[in-house]
Amino acid sequence: MLGAWFDYTVNGFVIGNIYALLAVGLALIYGVANLVNFAHGSVYVVGAYVGWAAITYLGTPLPVTLLCVVVVCALVGVGIERLGLRPLHGASRIAPLLATIGIALVLDQVVQLIFSPDPRAVPMQVPDWRITLGGGTIGALDLLIAGIGLTSAAVLYGFLRFTKLGWAVRATAQDSDAAKQMGVDTDRVNLVVFAIASALSGISGVLVGMYYNQINPAMSFEATLKGIVALIIGGLGNVPGAIGGSLILGLTESYGIALFGTSYRNLFAFVLLIAMLVWRPNGLFAARRSLPPEPMTGTFIARSRPLKVPSWAVAVVILLAALLPLLDAPYLLQIGANSLMYAMLALSLTLVAGTVGQVSLGHAALLAIGGYASGLLALDAGWPVAVAIPAAGLITAALGTLLVFPAFRLTGHYVSIATLGIGEIVSLVILNWTGLTRGAIGLGGIPPLEVFGYDLGSVQGTYWLCLVVLVLLALLQVRLLNSHLGRSWRAIRDDSVAARSYGVSGDRYKALAFGYGGFAAGISGAITAHAYSYINHETFGATISILALTMVILGGLGNVVGAVLGATLLIALPEAFRFLAEYRILIYGIVLLLLIRFRPQGLMGTV
Amino acid sequence: MSAPLLRLEAINSFYGPVQVHFDLSLVVEAGQIVCLLGGNASGKSTSMKTVLGLQRPGSGKVWFDGADITGLPTPRIIRSGIGSVPEARRLFGAMTVRENLLMGAYTRSDKPGIAADEDRVLGLFPRLRERLKQRAGTMSGGEQQMLAMARALMGRPKLICMDEPTMGLSPLFVDRVLELIQAINREGVTIFMVEQNASLALGIAHYGYVLQTGRIALEGPAAALLRDPRIRDAYLGGAAA
Repeated sequence: MLGAWFDYTVNGFVIGNIYALLAVGLALIYGVANLVNFAHGSVYVVGAYVGWAAITYLGTPLPVTLLCVVVVCALVGVGIERLGLRPLHGASRIAPLLATIGIALVLDQVVQLIFSPDPRAVPMQVPDWRITLGGGTIGALDLLIAGIGLTSAAVLYGFLRFTKLGWAVRATAQDSDAAKQMGVDTDRVNLVVFAIASALSGISGVLVGMYYNQINPAMSFEATLKGIVALIIGGLGNVPGAIGGSLILGLTESYGIALFGTSYRNLFAFVLLIAMLVWRPNGLFAARRSLPPEPMTGTFIARSRPLKVPSWAVAVVILLAALLPLLDAPYLLQIGANSLMYAMLALSLTLVAGTVGQVSLGHAALLAIGGYASGLLALDAGWPVAVAIPAAGLITAALGTLLVFPAFRLTGHYVSIATLGIGEIVSLVILNWTGLTRGAIGLGGIPPLEVFGYDLGSVQGTYWLCLVVLVLLALLQVRLLNSHLGRSWRAIRDDSVAARSYGVSGDRYKALAFGYGGFAAGISGAITAHAYSYINHETFGATISILALTMVILGGLGNVVGAVLGATLLIALPEAFRFLAEYRILIYGIVLLLLIRFRPQGLMGTV
Repeated sequence: MSAPLLRLEAINSFYGPVQVHFDLSLVVEAGQIVCLLGGNASGKSTSMKTVLGLQRPGSGKVWFDGADITGLPTPRIIRSGIGSVPEARRLFGAMTVRENLLMGAYTRSDKPGIAADEDRVLGLFPRLRERLKQRAGTMSGGEQQMLAMARALMGRPKLICMDEPTMGLSPLFVDRVLELIQAINREGVTIFMVEQNASLALGIAHYGYVLQTGRIALEGPAAALLRDPRIRDAYLGGAAA
């Protein structure tokens, strides 16, 4: 028994070391660039594959493998900074964060295109012996990972403490303007930091590959998330804190698995994340509990004059859309219906992220809640579909608001991280709450769409229903935006302090925004569930959250017409160019990057 | 007289759509203390940022030591021999006093020279010697101001730009800081200083400019300006002189 606990402890430390290699880089980058790098896990995957390729094709011994990984990943890091982020100097602070998401999509897809999505086994490069210690065992690989973790920490400490460039890194992290006035080339410091952070991340990837004897391109997202959780535990930008946070996370996960089983592992991580964000957003090791004032409030993304679309033009487009089923092109209608469902989600997100300025990265969770609520009401409670769908909208509004409520006092980066974590929690709860949700099997046999006896299960029916619902939601949203409520929302986004001083209570208005957003997204998820007849915990994943964000940025944040346009373009265009299907996500990533760089106000302009 | 060490020539600068400077021209002669006076929003701090390359002028030129430094990146400008004591000091609060001093010498690589200068600077600011291992952020405002000046000196600059060096200090420290500025100047370092407190600044300066809504309203030798009745109107933001 004691031996088993010893093994779990060793395992926790090893995983903690792997997380530390990720989190330290995130902390360094946050320090100098004030940026949570969402592409960090993608570099880790690049590292894993470079290591695999070096061993498989070149037969490199371990030190050479690691050297290859360090060199390639450092170069990737330099590329990210130089090409992706430096051109955004002077842009609003959320812009680089969104850019790193775009970079992550691109890197992941490139890796997948080169190496295929199939998992690969990384050949073990250390002798396979284990020593027995008090009932438990430690293997050579455990020692190697611990050794690399400790060595990296020591080298990093020496670098930051005793070298001139290290001082420059610390000085830049504390006050980059002042550092410039000492003659520090802060651009170069940024470049160096990205190189170091990316190299460490790559090493982490290779070691994980050896530890689990498996790598695949999809593991990047989880790595980014885990790194961020460790970073938040230690405190954003706190390098030693990141190491401590990583070890805590590793041990928590390992003991959690011991007590509750593997499927709870990530749930622990994300609950820990949310708990930290709510109670200790500065991290465990900070003296202050309140967050430093974040310079990220204020101007959001890009101010612009929204394009005015005359209402007769909107009416004509709606009419044309309503007539589309007469063409008798079921494939086109299917795409149309999909676009409309996404458009509802985009409406919801453009309100939350655009009008209120809470950039949510977990919006697809609302779809999942809506889909499961409606599906379960229809399946298990026997409700008619026409009642279940609006009920699901209301349930999503309530549940969504309740879940985000603890994060209301957060701003900027923290909101994005919290919503990302909440989104993952929702998906994990669905997976683990087998009694209600049927767990990993998913929800099958969901009754088709029908309204009071009229069967809308056909493609035409689905399309028309979606169109009607979307138009109603859009009209409601336009009405809200032009009301007192809409002005208060924008006031909170533009200057929360000023809004408060005018008596606008931030929390209540944020709750209303998430409530309305939850309603629209819940309806969308519910309709999707009935249209597909099967959903599971992965149907509405993080990719959809990112896709939705790309849609609303493409349309213009806060812009209702823009949201519908963005959704239609991003869903319909890849279908029109079907031969590009393989490159779909890659295209989304590139679109996101180009938008942020060249047209942050989107096609229709921000509101 | 030789060419001035620093010269701003017909600078027009903007913050977005708002024009801050209108054909601003001024010179700082080598070896002098020159102060730039003015009230809030007169464009004083922007002048300093323009010299340091933190703010790019819409038009006009900045000359330093015979070279055109307009639009150069800040680190290059610092390397060319300008030190900065930024507004509100902007020390590296989590680093020690010693590390802050060495950051001041960031552009240099002559180790013996740096060590000698460290000694010299600590001679000028003996209080800092007692606190070398202390974190800069934990010192009092006056001590931090001294460290900011010492840090600027460590780069062995020809010119030090000081943005409101007496701001937020107790009266006792204000006098001390002014004495130290004179001491630094006596060692041959030219000082270009932005100040709100005109009488204090003119008390130690050789030459002064008064800036009013982005234009030079008044200039002259410090002693003459001190006696000029218009100066009060000008820097208090009264009617144009």
